[in-house]
Amino acid sequence: MMRVYVDINRCIGCRSCEVACKRVHGGKGHVNVHITEDRASVPLFCHHCEEAACTMACYSGALAKDGERTSFSLDKCTGCGLCRLACPFGVVWTDKLAHKCDLCAPNETPTCVLTCPAEALSNDYEVALKRARARAGRATILGGKR
Amino acid sequence: MIQVDTNKCLGCFACSNICPNQFITREEEEGKRRTVRWAKCKEECDICVEFCPAKALALVPYSERTPEMIEVSFDLVPCEVCGKGFATEQLLKRIRETIPANLQKDSAGRSWVGICPFCRRELEAETASKQIVQSRRF
Repeated sequence: MMRVYVDINRCIGCRSCEVACKRVHGGKGHVNVHITEDRASVPLFCHHCEEAACTMACYSGALAKDGERTSFSLDKCTGCGLCRLACPFGVVWTDKLAHKCDLCAPNETPTCVLTCPAEALSNDYEVALKRARARAGRATILGGKR
Repeated sequence: MIQVDTNKCLGCFACSNICPNQFITREEEEGKRRTVRWAKCKEECDICVEFCPAKALALVPYSERTPEMIEVSFDLVPCEVCGKGFATEQLLKRIRETIPANLQKDSAGRSWVGICPFCRRELEAETASKQIVQSRRF
């Protein structure tokens, strides 16, 4: 299970990931594409934090770290909403019971990654690394010129 | 019968979600106020007692003197950004107590506990898009 890397430069704000996520999670989506003025679109979803505040706030054990993933089990959830308030990024929802990104476990690749037409979402660390290096390279060559 | 310690209640709705007989009901005035009501119940069931995060409930012997309905109301704390009520004071207090202090600030040093989840996402998107506009120059 790999985490999902987001390349906001590539995001075209089509919300395909939102729709795909809703489709595979019974109408409750865990991705939110936020459009900031007319500058950029940013897909937001669970970061699967190493020190996950939601797991610390959850008293029933519904939220827990499972390797890299922050897993959620519906049958332990009481719907108290503490996790929703404990998430620094606002990406745990409670509609009566909680729901959040599960990286489409047990599937190897999350549906949002498979769907994204702009390849803004990826679960390949090497791809994310290559893109970051290319960006840094361009910045160095151009010497910060505009 | 269920006894409620109204001073301990967080106003979280866990009990009303979990009650198999719908004796515990709730009402929310979006963004302003929420209310939890416990109807007097004769069952010997203690699911709500077990699942209350604040341990505000207890199973006690049936008594005629207890009122038919216990009600607690909470004003919702307004979000520091948009001003819309989003959580009870007690719930936020609980978050401040359970999350380590170093995690209660974002990368810009801003405390996020008093900001509603929607505005937290907006701020996150704002921060991310600033980085991107920067890198588009290259």
